[in-house]
Amino acid sequence: MNNGKKIALVIGWGSVKCAAALGLLRVLKREGIGIDMVIASGGGSIFGALFALGYDVEEIVSMNQRLWTHEVTEKTNRLAILQLILPKIFKVGEYFNLRDDQLMNERLFEALGKQTFKDTTIPLFISATDYKTGKHIVISQGSIYQAVRATVALPLVFPPIQVDNQLLADGYLSEPLPIGVAIQEGAQIIIAMGFESISQEARNSFSDYLLHLSGILSNNLLQASLSFYNLAHHSELFIIFPQFEDDIHMFDTHKVPEIIQIGEAEGEKLLPKLKQKLEFSQ
Amino acid sequence: MNIHDQQVDHVTIITIEGSIDALTAPKITEHIDGLVSDGKVKLVADFSGVDYTSSAGLRVLLAAVKETRSKSGDLFLVGVQPDVEKVLKLTGFTSILKIFPDIDSAVKSFA
Repeated sequence: MNNGKKIALVIGWGSVKCAAALGLLRVLKREGIGIDMVIASGGGSIFGALFALGYDVEEIVSMNQRLWTHEVTEKTNRLAILQLILPKIFKVGEYFNLRDDQLMNERLFEALGKQTFKDTTIPLFISATDYKTGKHIVISQGSIYQAVRATVALPLVFPPIQVDNQLLADGYLSEPLPIGVAIQEGAQIIIAMGFESISQEARNSFSDYLLHLSGILSNNLLQASLSFYNLAHHSELFIIFPQFEDDIHMFDTHKVPEIIQIGEAEGEKLLPKLKQKLEFSQ
Repeated sequence: MNIHDQQVDHVTIITIEGSIDALTAPKITEHIDGLVSDGKVKLVADFSGVDYTSSAGLRVLLAAVKETRSKSGDLFLVGVQPDVEKVLKLTGFTSILKIFPDIDSAVKSFA
């Protein structure tokens, strides 16, 4: 079905919203359209990694329901509260995080274990950010668990982690939708699913306020990089931004089935254009 | 500005010396277009002698990368000098182009 064309799937940063990629993958699988490489950032890396490791889409959906539950992100890190109230005593270092990451780490490890990038069935690239320099880092070797854990380290919420000699944090800080990696790796058809992150709802807490500001920055970064990638790619770049009727918050794991359906609908919309591109040479 | 090439296996090494700006960019475009027309689409641009590139140079690179990739080839850069590398980084070109430390590694990556 791919007619010899190299297809890359890019899943951008978007926390729980990234589950929409599973809906898209469901449609592609049904149509027999293969993905030749996956590039993912933030929450998208969990689904991207499992897919690249050869898990079936339905298996990933079921794993996600079991592993990514509300309690994963529920526990507050008490030290962070003290750091906020008494910064002179409890100094804010590189590891300031409002949520405790222990359960998340356990669940990620349960899903990914000791698998490495060598275990994938198709090439996998995970996008992260060097916490100290802000440089975009593309991880394509070593432990997948560590790479995923690094790229879900949303600033203020979860702490960055040390991978080899680098302190790595969320990929969205440098590349919210890492299309550049797909271009660099020679993909002809790029299907990129991205997510905007601004909430229109009232902000009731300090963290909501900070996340709103961070959303403004990342959305603008996303738009700027998209302009460039649209010009830079030599072939077809399909960009999908699923539209959610209600605000989806970072920890709304109970909305995952609905999010997957929205992703599926986006996949159906893409299909005629994608098939046309696959049938005719560029 | 000087430009000349040599063939290493199935890869064409283009050596560019001098500054790339609005005055010199057309010469590079013409040169690369000629190579692509001859079916030479696996290109390595040796930038060790390039001391400056303007936006015109970036446009040349972008056009060459897109043209070669659309014909199943690519354009890699080697020997990029710090000032030029800074421009490539600031403009996002390092996220779409592959840069290698030397010609050997660039040629091997085409294999």
